[in-house]
Amino acid sequence: MENINSTQELQSKQYICVKIGTEQYGIDIQYVENIVRMQKITRVPKAQTYFKGVINLRGEIVPVMSLRLKFNLEPDEYTNTTRIIILKLEPQASVGLIVDEVKEVVDLDPSCIDKATYNANDDKSQFISGVGKHEDGLISLLNVADVIIEKDKDNEVK
Amino acid sequence: MDVSQYLEIFIDETKEHLQTLSDQLLILEQEPENEDTINEIFRAAHSLKGMAGTMGYKRMQKLTHNMENVFSEIRNGKMKVQAELVDVLFRGLDALESYLNNILETADEGTEDNQDILNDLNSILAKGTGAEIPAEPAKETVKQEAVAPANDDNFMKFKEIAISEYEIGTLEKAKEAGQNLVGITVYIAENCILKAARAFLVFKALEDLGEVIKSEPSVQDIEDEKFDFDFSIILITKEDKEKIKSAILNVSEIKDVAIDDFSLQQEKEQAKEKEQEKAEEKKEEKPTQPAMVQAAAATQEAPKKAQPAQPAKKSGGKPVVNRSVRVDIEKLDVLMNLVSELIIAKNGLISIGSSENGAKDGTAFNEQVEYLERVTTNLHESVMKVRMMPIETVVNKFPRMIRDLTKKLGKKMELYMSGEETELDRTVIDEIGDPLQHLLRNAADHGLESNEERIALGKPEVGSIFLDAYQDGNNVVIEVRDNGKGIDTEKVKQKAIDKGTITPEQAETMTQKDIIDLLFRPSFSTAEKISDVSGRGVGLDVVKTNVEKLGGDIECKTVLGEGSTFIIRLPLTLAIIQALMVELGDEKYAIPLGSIETIEDVPLSDIKYVQTKEVINLRGTVIPLIRLDEVLDVEPREQEAESLTVVIVKKGEKLAGLIVDNLIGQLEIVIKSIGKYINNNKMISGAAILGDGEVALIIDANALV
Repeated sequence: MENINSTQELQSKQYICVKIGTEQYGIDIQYVENIVRMQKITRVPKAQTYFKGVINLRGEIVPVMSLRLKFNLEPDEYTNTTRIIILKLEPQASVGLIVDEVKEVVDLDPSCIDKATYNANDDKSQFISGVGKHEDGLISLLNVADVIIEKDKDNEVK
Repeated sequence: MDVSQYLEIFIDETKEHLQTLSDQLLILEQEPENEDTINEIFRAAHSLKGMAGTMGYKRMQKLTHNMENVFSEIRNGKMKVQAELVDVLFRGLDALESYLNNILETADEGTEDNQDILNDLNSILAKGTGAEIPAEPAKETVKQEAVAPANDDNFMKFKEIAISEYEIGTLEKAKEAGQNLVGITVYIAENCILKAARAFLVFKALEDLGEVIKSEPSVQDIEDEKFDFDFSIILITKEDKEKIKSAILNVSEIKDVAIDDFSLQQEKEQAKEKEQEKAEEKKEEKPTQPAMVQAAAATQEAPKKAQPAQPAKKSGGKPVVNRSVRVDIEKLDVLMNLVSELIIAKNGLISIGSSENGAKDGTAFNEQVEYLERVTTNLHESVMKVRMMPIETVVNKFPRMIRDLTKKLGKKMELYMSGEETELDRTVIDEIGDPLQHLLRNAADHGLESNEERIALGKPEVGSIFLDAYQDGNNVVIEVRDNGKGIDTEKVKQKAIDKGTITPEQAETMTQKDIIDLLFRPSFSTAEKISDVSGRGVGLDVVKTNVEKLGGDIECKTVLGEGSTFIIRLPLTLAIIQALMVELGDEKYAIPLGSIETIEDVPLSDIKYVQTKEVINLRGTVIPLIRLDEVLDVEPREQEAESLTVVIVKKGEKLAGLIVDNLIGQLEIVIKSIGKYINNNKMISGAAILGDGEVALIIDANALV
């Protein structure tokens, strides 16, 4: 295992490992701009339910969404460990994700990632691009673009 | 010489000159005799040519050169301005503009020669000046050359004489006066000792018969005996060739004389070729501009074919030139002054902060803050002024467009514009052109009736389109009005029912305004036939989206048979606004001052109900009330107060009262977008960051009314 790892070091990707409820999720580090503590969120009326509102991030307005609500879990309880992960997929368009806890940065090489199987009955599965094995635990790797960008079709079906 | 550093200036000035040309041509079309206009055009064309030449854009130079020739003839009174000519000139302008666009994107003018325009210009020039159409004699020459053996060409050396532009002018005039142009090559016997004397005698003989325009080598060189045994002459004469020939042969020691009609066309081409060669040589000396050399090389290989591959290579990239604004130096000076004041204010604050007796300095501190406030307000105003541009820059291309439409649609119409000096933010200016153009096209194509219909209806034959711009408070209003047939709301209604947009029942209850609003829905066109000009059904909704993107709105008024008016309302600026901060529950919202009419305290008892909707009767006007807390899903207050604070907002002529919990005060806010991921429901136009770092959302009153 170690050997394979070293030969494939170049292709391995770094993920930020976060906790939502009891599960661990991985967010591709290349999209992560910043991780900030929980702060006052200004509600935006009539927005999607999982968008908690907007925050002021050093003079920029950044919309913040709750992964819990997006995944149809229990609403967030803000604690000392709650963080907002600021992602930037495109220039001039940041977005924040609320997570329960940020654990660590992990290196995952492709051999430890299993492709996710799509399950139409599971709301969450459409946002997962794969499952990574790290030490003893499993990390669900988020498909960041799909999480953030609303698919109109999905809405209509629901 | 590396000219790339001048590219921006070149582009700016070219734009200006093109605009002048377009404006003046329009005037010229109306008043063909207006000398000022002609002079103005000539000057603009001339500078354009010069600039294009300096920058090494030879196609552009060639085209402007040909246009300038025409202007020059007009200026000299040799030609009359006709519609046909103006058409060609406009085509020339379009071509120049496309060159400019190419340059803007790739720093290269492209490879389109626009030969057809050049030909048209030349044939008009020829016709206009009364000379024979040069194309025909040119053909004859070609034939003659084809028949004659190759060495004949060598024999007639005068064909190789290079002629300057000025001389061509003289020759053309002579030709026009009915004189013959004759080319002569004189061969002196090789054993002749006094060549110069013989040549002198030849000149003397010729001067009796006509006028020597040019000789090769020059007269001076011939006198100094700086030639071999032949020299060539171009002569303007009324005599025939044989007589000239015999006159020359009368001079002793002349071996032979070659004489023929001199073809101008051929000479012109030669002259041009020479010019081009020179231009290319010049270019090759510039190692800093490989792109141009490449283009030149490409042209040599395929001079007349447009090469789509060539520009394709570069297109898609970023424009090579940054967009620039010309700013009045005075405005910059004001800015500089304000910045220095800002520094002074900062220093004042520092000194207060560092002084020991902190308790006493409350007033001094406040003074400094007030000073700072004054400075920032001024700074804001000045920066805004720098960003402002007169709307003229957009609308001045419209007269030309209407002119083209007049031709295309076969309808006579006039465009009347007012308020071109109204200033708008640069970003708005950049975006408003397309919507306006669309509305004008609509007015021209669908709005105005055909001339026959208009006469039948007893209207003036020529239709009028008005474009009025003016400032109205914090808004700029642009109206596009026509005196055409107006919008047939019944027809629109029927169409909407046919299309399934609305049900017949709905149609019954719709007001005139509701029906007109249907026009702004996507893919809704009432034009029966799709024309080149408009009517593809992707019209007004796009206009509306564009205008709304700029933070403005559009409405339409129409009277059947009398015309329609489209009113676009735009905010003066996009970035910084004055807003009223209000409180709803625990949340703070900003309402732009520009849309606020008044603020009223309304006792609960004054609320009336119309169709179960709350309204108030305010000084004779019935105003619908909107409970913002309900609309925005704010937690309602526990107990109803006895009176309500109502902010009356207006959109166009419509008013509405927004019920808020509390007023906080007026604040200058910087508008920020809330991002594209969050569902924007149009009620929120953005967010602002308050002094304490909190975020307040900005309510778009236009969306609520």
